[in-house]
Amino acid sequence: MKKKRLLALLLCVMMVPCLMAGGSKEAGQAENGRVKIIYSFWGTPDEGAAVQGVADKFNASQDRIDVEIMAIPHDNYITKLNTMATARELPDCGIMSEAAVLQFAENGLLYDVSKMYDAGESKPLESLTFKYQGNPVAYSTANEILLLYYNKDMFDAAGVEYPPVNAEDAWTWDEFVETAKLLTLDARGNNAKSPNFDPNTVVQYGCMVENLTWQLEVWCLSNGSGFYNENGSKVTINDPASMEALQKIADLHLVHHVAPLSAGLTDDGVQRSLIAGTCAMTTNGQWNIGTCLASARDEGLNYGVAVLPYMKEVVTINTGGPNVVFSQTKHAAEAMEWIKWYSREENSWGLIETGIWMPILEKWYTDEEFTRKWAGNPNFPPYDEYKSAVVDFAVDYARPASWYYVNNTVDFNALLGSLLGEVWTGNKTAKEAITGSYDALVAAYNGNG
Amino acid sequence: MRIFPGGKTLKEAIRKAESRTAYLCLIPSIIGLVFITYLPLLSVFILGFFKFGKGAPTPVFVGLENYIRLFTSDPYFLDSIRVTVYFSVLAVIGSLIYSLFLAMLLNRKIPARGFFRAVFYLPYVLPAMAVYIGWSWLYESNFGLFNFILSSFGLDKVRFIADSHLVVPSLAVISVWLSGNLIVIFLAGLQNVPRVYHDAAEIDGANGWQRFRHVTIPCMTPIIFYNLLMALITNMQIVIPAIALTNGGPGNASCFLTYLMYRYAFISNQLGYACSISFVFFIIIAVFTAILFATSKSWIFYEGDAN
Repeated sequence: MKKKRLLALLLCVMMVPCLMAGGSKEAGQAENGRVKIIYSFWGTPDEGAAVQGVADKFNASQDRIDVEIMAIPHDNYITKLNTMATARELPDCGIMSEAAVLQFAENGLLYDVSKMYDAGESKPLESLTFKYQGNPVAYSTANEILLLYYNKDMFDAAGVEYPPVNAEDAWTWDEFVETAKLLTLDARGNNAKSPNFDPNTVVQYGCMVENLTWQLEVWCLSNGSGFYNENGSKVTINDPASMEALQKIADLHLVHHVAPLSAGLTDDGVQRSLIAGTCAMTTNGQWNIGTCLASARDEGLNYGVAVLPYMKEVVTINTGGPNVVFSQTKHAAEAMEWIKWYSREENSWGLIETGIWMPILEKWYTDEEFTRKWAGNPNFPPYDEYKSAVVDFAVDYARPASWYYVNNTVDFNALLGSLLGEVWTGNKTAKEAITGSYDALVAAYNGNG
Repeated sequence: MRIFPGGKTLKEAIRKAESRTAYLCLIPSIIGLVFITYLPLLSVFILGFFKFGKGAPTPVFVGLENYIRLFTSDPYFLDSIRVTVYFSVLAVIGSLIYSLFLAMLLNRKIPARGFFRAVFYLPYVLPAMAVYIGWSWLYESNFGLFNFILSSFGLDKVRFIADSHLVVPSLAVISVWLSGNLIVIFLAGLQNVPRVYHDAAEIDGANGWQRFRHVTIPCMTPIIFYNLLMALITNMQIVIPAIALTNGGPGNASCFLTYLMYRYAFISNQLGYACSISFVFFIIIAVFTAILFATSKSWIFYEGDAN
């Protein structure tokens, strides 16, 4: 009898933490006639407090909505949201990673945001709209495109003309490779065109095309194909054109010896190439201007920006993390109002002014006055160069990265990246690697990977 | 004999009181174990039978489907087991030999012994992320220090962590270099080898190697066993280099089980599936540990043991 009593006591003691952990509060209740909405954000409590500062401005600017920030550690963000969705306790709205948007949409957790902007308003660029089954489910909070960066001093030293800033004059792939050869130097100063060139003692490479998997999509598009067909309903990575494009990237190192071996595994391409002074050109996202190139320029790096070279079509891809409204909210209109306000360039001006984010609303690209306000400051490369190679390139030639309309890109890209690991080192051709695992790639695309 | 209430003898009553106190004192650790170890373990086991996360916002029972997918169609899992075991074997054997060797050197009366002991222990206390990133610069395929040295001697460059055949041995070398804690334990063990055995062997004419083989090693077997077990469990759970440097690549060459689990759970958001991997992994480590324990009787020498 006593044993049982002891056991019962033990169980009671054990239940206390459970009860404490199970407490929940009801979101969305009205206070003082104002609607309270919760916005989830990834980051530390300190970062959450900084965002709350912005939200407080919004709260003070009107008398109907109170926004409260919920900070969730970045690594657990999606997992936590998922758990909250199960308990039907999702916040009203929140920040979201690009690749998770379609996944949440497919699970029915996102609200259709097509009514967020009125007909007469300046809208985000069309390429910044995440769509599920044709309906807009989120807009990016920032814009980013891929472009070509180069070291002007290395071009001057080799007596080579700078890469083009106008998309109409973009280099063909062969022109790009030929230029890269002139800029690749071995220990004795021979370039890659010289018969005496020794690829084993290269001290400066001509280029490094970033081969992080998601960025490779641009080359498949440029060669007239893509990872998927145009509406994302079919995997086309096994198209001869797609595989040829990937092989051309690998051949820069394997055949032409104009690029270093890069395994495409770490996201520090600009630092490893342009900033380390090991490569004359590199491709990467616009954000690098603010995140690392501005400080590198202060330390003497004389860099420029240009449009990407092309294989068959001039193209770049754009991306940018969105804010979403969750479908479980009872206050969708208020949540959209907050997100629309929060996404205004003025509220992220620090990020835009330093060159980390590009604006999302069309007027910043089409109205010269706005463009100058954005890019006409010393954090950026010379205005004319940037305007042509980045601003105009983004409006006229950018297509959304596939996660704007395809689900399961995380698994697809992880598998593709793993397959291509053997291609960069020359153990397999792109064709062998992709055709050998095409079924697995399709399974990943279908959500079974 | 005095009978206490409830018809118990004095002895029984004392035992009862003592066991009550024992239970009371054990409560905190029982709570800890139950909530931090057993319940999570149980939930991992149960969640392994559910689809939860991507494509299933609420858990859906799928029976053995996760386990079937693991062993039939998963493009990473079997490679992952292979590379994890391969890495563990290299790293465990390497670090045992390396640290025993160093411990023996550091056990001799050499000048600045304290300094050298600190130097070889140091890697173990450095932040792991910094260590791996530092090593990745040494290993870098184009301009890294090792390749700079190789090419200055006119040798071909080696790709180290960018090559699917070399990535595991390269990472195992780092793991060996990091095994400073084993050195400390070996050192403690070496100091406990009775001097008298060495003296006796020396009088019998045994040379250095014979003394090492027949005196040091047998006396050290309990320590070797402990280090072997700890090194095995630590190295099986290797994950940092895969996250920091290789993303499991090139190919699946460094897709260690812990990393695969992390990727499925926190990047791909397939929690149920990740739990099934986790459970298989638990079984694998348990099997290896059981094998070690089962064979240990035949080669461990305990002082005073009749066998």
